[in-house]
Amino acid sequence: MSTERLVIVDGVRTPFARMGTQLAALGADELGRMAVSALLTKTGIDPAIIDEVIMGCVGQPVDAANVSRVIALRAGIPPHVPAITVSRNCASGMESLTQAHEKLVAGRGSVFVVGGAESMSQYPLVYKFATAVKFAALNKAKTLPQKLAAMAAFRPADFSPRIGLLLGLTDPTNGLGMGQTAEIITRENGITREMQDAFAVESHQRALAGREKLAEEITTVYVPPDHKRCMSEDNGPRTDQSMEVLAKLRPVFDRRTGTVTAGNSSQLTDGAVALLVMGEKRAEALGLTPLGVLSGYAYAGCDPARMGLGPIHAMARAESLCGLGVSDAELIEINEAFAGQVLAVMKLAESAGYAKTHLDRDRAIGTIHHDILNVNGGSVALGHPVGATGARLILTALKELQRRQQKRALVSLCVGGGQGAAIWVEAMS
Amino acid sequence: MSAPITASMSDEHVWTLVFDQPDTSANVFNDATLDCLAEQLDVVTGDSQAAGIVFKSAKPSIFIAGADLKALSEVESEDALRELIGKGQAIFTRIAKLEIPTLAAIHGACLGGGYELCLACDIRIASDDGATRIGLPETALGILPAWGGCTRLPRLIGLPGALDVILGGKRLTATSALRRGMVDEVVPREHLDRAAAKAMQKGAPPRKSHFWVNNFLSAAFIAATAQRQSRAKTRGHYPAIPRAIEVAVQGLRRSEADSLKLELEAVVDLSATATCRRLMEIFFLQERAKRLRSSESLVLEPIGDIAVIGAGVMGAGIAQWVSARKHRVILRDIDPEQVMNGLRRISGIYKDAVKRHIFDKVTARQGMDRISPVSEDVPLQQVDLVIEAAAESLNVKQKIFLGLSERSRSDTILATNTSALSIDEIAESVEHPERVVGLHFFNPVHRMQLVEVVEGHRTSPEVVWRTVKFVQSIGRLPVLVKDRPGFLVNRILMPYLVEAGHLFESGASCENLDSGMLEFGMPMGPLRLIDEVGVDVALHVGEYLASCFPDHMQVPAVLTEMIQAGQLGRKAGMGFYIHARGKSPTVNDALDSLRKNRAAAKEGRKELAERMVFLMINEAARCLEEAVVEDPRDIDFAMIMGTGFAPFRGGPLRHADTVGIARVVDGLRNLAEENPRFAPCGLLEEMAIAGREFYKKENP
Repeated sequence: MSTERLVIVDGVRTPFARMGTQLAALGADELGRMAVSALLTKTGIDPAIIDEVIMGCVGQPVDAANVSRVIALRAGIPPHVPAITVSRNCASGMESLTQAHEKLVAGRGSVFVVGGAESMSQYPLVYKFATAVKFAALNKAKTLPQKLAAMAAFRPADFSPRIGLLLGLTDPTNGLGMGQTAEIITRENGITREMQDAFAVESHQRALAGREKLAEEITTVYVPPDHKRCMSEDNGPRTDQSMEVLAKLRPVFDRRTGTVTAGNSSQLTDGAVALLVMGEKRAEALGLTPLGVLSGYAYAGCDPARMGLGPIHAMARAESLCGLGVSDAELIEINEAFAGQVLAVMKLAESAGYAKTHLDRDRAIGTIHHDILNVNGGSVALGHPVGATGARLILTALKELQRRQQKRALVSLCVGGGQGAAIWVEAMS
Repeated sequence: MSAPITASMSDEHVWTLVFDQPDTSANVFNDATLDCLAEQLDVVTGDSQAAGIVFKSAKPSIFIAGADLKALSEVESEDALRELIGKGQAIFTRIAKLEIPTLAAIHGACLGGGYELCLACDIRIASDDGATRIGLPETALGILPAWGGCTRLPRLIGLPGALDVILGGKRLTATSALRRGMVDEVVPREHLDRAAAKAMQKGAPPRKSHFWVNNFLSAAFIAATAQRQSRAKTRGHYPAIPRAIEVAVQGLRRSEADSLKLELEAVVDLSATATCRRLMEIFFLQERAKRLRSSESLVLEPIGDIAVIGAGVMGAGIAQWVSARKHRVILRDIDPEQVMNGLRRISGIYKDAVKRHIFDKVTARQGMDRISPVSEDVPLQQVDLVIEAAAESLNVKQKIFLGLSERSRSDTILATNTSALSIDEIAESVEHPERVVGLHFFNPVHRMQLVEVVEGHRTSPEVVWRTVKFVQSIGRLPVLVKDRPGFLVNRILMPYLVEAGHLFESGASCENLDSGMLEFGMPMGPLRLIDEVGVDVALHVGEYLASCFPDHMQVPAVLTEMIQAGQLGRKAGMGFYIHARGKSPTVNDALDSLRKNRAAAKEGRKELAERMVFLMINEAARCLEEAVVEDPRDIDFAMIMGTGFAPFRGGPLRHADTVGIARVVDGLRNLAEENPRFAPCGLLEEMAIAGREFYKKENP
């Protein structure tokens, strides 16, 4: 086992585009290719020295199995470099980074391209299994009467497909949609509609104010196949977002008494992120000045029906593993899956009771100050391409640390299925 | 010396004749190969149990490249030629008449005589390898397929298809040949033998009759149409085309034996023409450019990644071409808008290529994927070659090169695609100026094969030859030139374009000027060409050259006046012509007011053309004088490949020899009385006095 630290040399991402907008026609492989290709060009790294490409993706394109390999080859990384796609649902982009670290300390390579890619626009519509069986029967039918009989088996309902995106956002173990889990934790913790909407408005305002800063991590996407359009900034942040506008929206997940709306939830988004990471010594030998270093991390499980509270559990576990607690953070990114979910995390982080009953510790996690949280906006404004967000949060945090000349950032997110992830990164001094 | 063809026999008495010419990478048909083939056929026919013959090649990328052109062009007499052609016809006919099945297993280039051997076989199977290319390119050399090509192909695939192959001279892929019926089956190279064995058992597939196109009436109609179309295209400058049509059509009405006689007579006649000699020369010059090597032995690393600076027409064209040849390319311009325009051009070229079956969709996308677009400075450590194609301004270029030299390795070649500016001056600001070189592509990059490699005073031989090797590796033809204003092609072309402008000012009509040159054999008239290039671009280069050579070049005012009126040529929809989408251009009468006098109004097309051509000859001779290149062949080659200068005339200097140097000098002197800029250069004067020519005298 090596104790070498993993440094993040640099990172690039595509702009994040709301589902169904400018980048809708591009598959996750195309988005990922653009990010990785831009990363190689921006860093000027020799792609042949990369030991592995590890990309996160939740809804892999059906026509690009092991999408990481497709991305690597299409981005011009030579064929001898292997590639693996990882999925830890919303933490996939983070998982790619921590897997690189695990490979590094296990002595299995020192230079990695990690990140994530997601096209939520291109989640497929799927036939029910029962319908698929009927299609198979039709396919097998040889004679005309057989064919007619096979066709007669179809019913109108067979032709209404199941929506892949909805299936993906539903926890199959308990049947709850992600939004429903957010409803549970907001109502249990007294997070009101107004609190959520105010948080959402702030997210948009911060994202708009942070445009120039965010531009530093974005590579312009020239939209194939016609190249008649290009996109250089995220299209999620809205200039017209206000409490009044948000108040008009109806709750989506609990239509009658709920508080979670499309306006205070993360946006469904297309985008990709790529980070160049390597062992500290390797970076030194190559004469590179990294953005920062990975100093600790943890994943933790929690109640799937309250998956939004995952960050608290992960932060607690990370603290016991690496000794860093919330009060050590000069900057915090917590993914805004739902505004209410982040607010619930903030509230329970201060609760000694929750710590005792759920985290087996006698102190609260600590205060998460809103003024150092998601300072350039979060997924409510920027969008949440699930497989890519984890890597985006790390990149955004590191760049901000650099700008602020600060040292430590905590990056965390909740994970569908009842998990949390927490990562500590440090700027290079 | 081992024989060029070896024969072996299987247990089932199937004979395999393997072509493997010793000491060369190609198989070609010459006297010795034909004799050997005859001998091997004797062996096979001597075997009473012989069950069939398979013809194949042992070369990695060539089946049979065709007749030995070197030998063919050096045949000493008409009788010798008759004998050679007759011998080939006899042997191929003998193969065609064999009772046992015969099969050609084609892998690699299978051209001309090579494919005619296949046509004599009962069955043709080709490998799907990229190296496999099938065709009859003879007419491009001024002759026609005379070993049965004009006779057997129309019978196999029908007259229209056959004429397309014979007149087009294209080298087809295996799948394209399959679609046209020129081969019976396409299989992976590794399965060629197995497929051959299977096909031998099954026998030849049934052949279509083609009666509906090959009958007397249809054939006559098809022939008339083909003749009309080819006349419009070639203006009668290429006698092989009409003759090939004639032979193919008349051949259908005769027996195969008589049709072969027509082929023989035709090839003998055509070989005697100057056109044929010129076209053969061009072929050899192309081969020479492909093999251009340094005389010293230098270690030349291949080029990997490339950066192209500037995403305009040229930059985009270059990026597309090199990306299609598997180079990763950084495409840089000053802002996303420019980059996007470049990418749009590139994807347009790829899309077009997919439509023309040059690439399939996946290959085209792989090409696009290799391009990394940027609108800011990026490190160039991974880049072996930078090609700058930014605005034609010395200031701009010097600034760019300063930045490039800072961001790249000291051994990265820094090339400029400038069409006229001095390499030495561009290199001034650069650290390690020995790596600065000119790499001048022509527009459109994906069509124009010529690339000028320009050697500055400080350019190192390694850089020059590495660049030459790179040009060859991407399938382009290099010509090595010295750093003189306008280099070679533009230097010679500009006086011609500028003169067209002068003549226009003096009253010559667009029709007379342009048609005169079309009839001379140029692919496009000079005023049309100015429109295509852009009046502003033409003026820019023209003025630059005029400032370098004030004594013999002056730019006519009409170009400036056109720019002021916004008539920039095709891109503006208006220039000397009015260019409307989807319509052929019509003369822009509004420009009449820009004429200064009517002095040239009465001059005929021929006189106008001669004047412009003489100016090109004069400038070409000056290039030799100044040692821009050393060899007149380089000039002729570059002008033909770079501007489409009438190929059948063999280039400006060869044309000067044909016309007579003394006549050229006389003509220029006469013109010089009117304006001293026409005065013949010293070299021409000397040559006229000494009675010398640019090339050795040919046997009449």
